[in-house]
Amino acid sequence: MITTVVGSYPKIPDLPAPGRWRSAKEKRERGEISPEEFLQVEREVTLEVIQEQVEAGIELITDGQIRWEDPQTYFAQGLTGFTLDGLQRWFDTNMYYRIPVAEGEVLWTDPITVEDYRFAKAHSPRPVKPVITGPYTLARLSQNQYYATFEDFVLSLALALNQELRALDAENPLLIQVDEPGILRHKADFPLFREAMITLTEGVRAPLALYTYFGDVVDIYPEILDLPFDVIGLDFVAGPRNWEALEKAPFEKWLGFGILDARNTRLESLEELVRALDRVSRYVPLDRIYLNPSAGLEFLPRNVVRAKLHRLVEAKRTVLGVGV
Amino acid sequence: MIPSYLPTTTVGSFPKPPGLLAARRKYRRGQLDREVLRELERQATQEWIRRQEELGLDLLVDGEQYRADLVTFFAEELDGFRMAGLVRAFGNRYYRKPVVIAPVGRRHPLLVEWFRFAQSLTSKPVKAVLTGPYTLAEWSFNEYYPARRDLISDLARVLREEAQDLVRAGARYLQIDEPAIHSRPEEDFELARAALAHITEDLGVYTIVHICYGDVARIYPDMLRLAVDQIALALANTRFTLLEVFRTHPFTRDVGLGVIDVTRHRVETVEEVVSGIQRALEVFPPHRVHLSPDCGLRTCTMEEAVAKLEAMVEAARLVRAMVP
Repeated sequence: MITTVVGSYPKIPDLPAPGRWRSAKEKRERGEISPEEFLQVEREVTLEVIQEQVEAGIELITDGQIRWEDPQTYFAQGLTGFTLDGLQRWFDTNMYYRIPVAEGEVLWTDPITVEDYRFAKAHSPRPVKPVITGPYTLARLSQNQYYATFEDFVLSLALALNQELRALDAENPLLIQVDEPGILRHKADFPLFREAMITLTEGVRAPLALYTYFGDVVDIYPEILDLPFDVIGLDFVAGPRNWEALEKAPFEKWLGFGILDARNTRLESLEELVRALDRVSRYVPLDRIYLNPSAGLEFLPRNVVRAKLHRLVEAKRTVLGVGV
Repeated sequence: MIPSYLPTTTVGSFPKPPGLLAARRKYRRGQLDREVLRELERQATQEWIRRQEELGLDLLVDGEQYRADLVTFFAEELDGFRMAGLVRAFGNRYYRKPVVIAPVGRRHPLLVEWFRFAQSLTSKPVKAVLTGPYTLAEWSFNEYYPARRDLISDLARVLREEAQDLVRAGARYLQIDEPAIHSRPEEDFELARAALAHITEDLGVYTIVHICYGDVARIYPDMLRLAVDQIALALANTRFTLLEVFRTHPFTRDVGLGVIDVTRHRVETVEEVVSGIQRALEVFPPHRVHLSPDCGLRTCTMEEAVAKLEAMVEAARLVRAMVP
C-alpha cells in the first residue's frame, strides 16, 4: 500500500501568515511583477507544499499544482487554439475557472508540465507523480467553436495531450496520473472516452493512473478496467456507489482508494479509515492500493489538510502494523 | 422611487478604503477596539453613500464595508458556525469558509442597524442585501446536519426573520444573493427554490435574487419560478453570450442586467456598455431591465469601481436618451 495525494494542495498558509502566492498573483495581474518574479514565488510555495506532504508521511507526492490556477486553464493555455472567457463553476465546488474556448486547431507545441515535474523531482526526497487533466474532461469543461463535433474536439485533445504524456514519459516518472472526473457525469460517452484514452496513452511506457472523482463508476464498470491504465482512482466519499461497482466484477488493477474526504473539514477517525481499508481489502489486496484523499486538496484550508494527511498515514501504519 | 426605465443599481459590495483594510487586519490580531473599527466602517459607508449619489445611481446599497465577503459576515453573526480558514474561489480571490458545527440560529438582527444607518444618509432608496440560504449552506463545510436539507431550511427560517426585521425597519427593496443556486440543480434546485420562497413570502416589498457565473442555462427557464420580482444576472463577464439562453423562453421577471465585468481590472468604455445594453434590450422586455455590474465590486480598487460605475451610469443615460 502506498499513500499518495490526488493532486492539488492549498496555495496559501493558514491565517494570520501572509499568503505570498496570493499577493504575488495580484501584483502579476496588475503587471507590477514580471513573469519570472512570479515563477520564483510559485517555486518557493511549491517547495513549501512538498515539505508539508513529506512531513505528513505521504510516500508518493505531487508538486501541489501550485502553478495551476485550475485544472482547465493550465492546459488550455499551454496548447494552441484556446482563448479564455468568463467564469464557470468547476463541477459542483465553490471554485471557478475561466472557461476555455477552442477557437482554432488545438495543438501541442511545447511541454506544459515537464519543467514543473523536473523542479519538484529535483527538490523532493520522495518520488513525485506528474498529473495532467485528461482530454475528455478538458473538452467537457470548455466551449468548442472550432471542431465540427464534440468527438473531433475530444480526440484532437487526446492527440495533443498524448504529446504531453510522451514528454513526461521521457523523464521516467514512477507513475503518471490522468484526471478524468468529467466522464462520471456523461457515462453514455464511454465509447468515445475509451477511444480518447487509447489515443492519449499510445506509446507511453511509464505506469499510468486514471483518476475519477466527484461520483461513481457503477455504469461503466467493469469496462473502465479495460482501459490502458495500471491504476484506477475512485472516490468513495462523493461516490459511495463505487462499493457496488466492486461487487460487480473482480478489480484486477491497482486501486486509487479515495476515502479521505477532500471536501469537508470533518477529520475522519482512525477507526473509520481502518474499517474502510479492511472493507476494501475484500475486493483488492492491500498491496495493490494507493491510499489517498477523495480529490485534490485545495478545497480545504492547510491546517485541515495537514491533519487529514497525518491521519491517512496513521491509518496505513495501523493496518499494516508498522510503528508510527 | 426609482425611475421606471433602465434604473441603475449595484449588486452590493464596494471596495474598502486602505485605512479600513488596515484596521480590519489590526482588529483580527486583537490590536484594535471593536468600536474604533465600527466608526471606520460607518465613515466608509457614509463615503460610499455620498459617492453613489454623486455617480447618479438610482437604487443604493450600504456597500458592505463591514463584511469580509458573501459568507463570513453571516457565519460570524449567526449561531452554529465556526470559521475554518481561507479557501480559493478563483484566481487570487479567497474567502473564509465557515463550518457548521451546531444548529444555526439568530441571536439578534444582523443588518437592521446598518440598513437604518445607510438609509438615514440619503433620500434615495437603499436596498438591503442578504446572502441566501442555499449559498450559505453550499459555501460552508457541514459537520453537523446529517441532511443538508435541514441545514438549508433552518437557514431559510433565520433569514426570513431577518428579512421581516429589515422590512419593518423600512427596507422597500430586498436582494438575496444565491450565486451557488445552480451548483447541482438536478438534485437541489427545488430545495433552493422553496428556501427562497419561504423568505420572500408576503414580504410586501420588491425582491431580487442575484445569481452570477456558473451554468445558468441549466436552470433556465426553471429560474423564472423563483419567488422574486427580479433576477439579477452577470452578462458582461461572458460578453453577453448568455443572452442566447434567454431567447429560448420569454423572460417573465424583471432582470438585473450585469453590464460591468467585476472580475477584470480593465474599465469598460461607455460604448461597449451601451452596446451590451442594446443587445439585451432585443431579448428582454425593455421595461423589465435594471442595470448593474455583474457582481459586487469588492475586489476592484476604489478607482476601478468608480470608473466602471461612471461608464455604466453614462451608458444608461445615453440609452435612455435614444428612446424616441
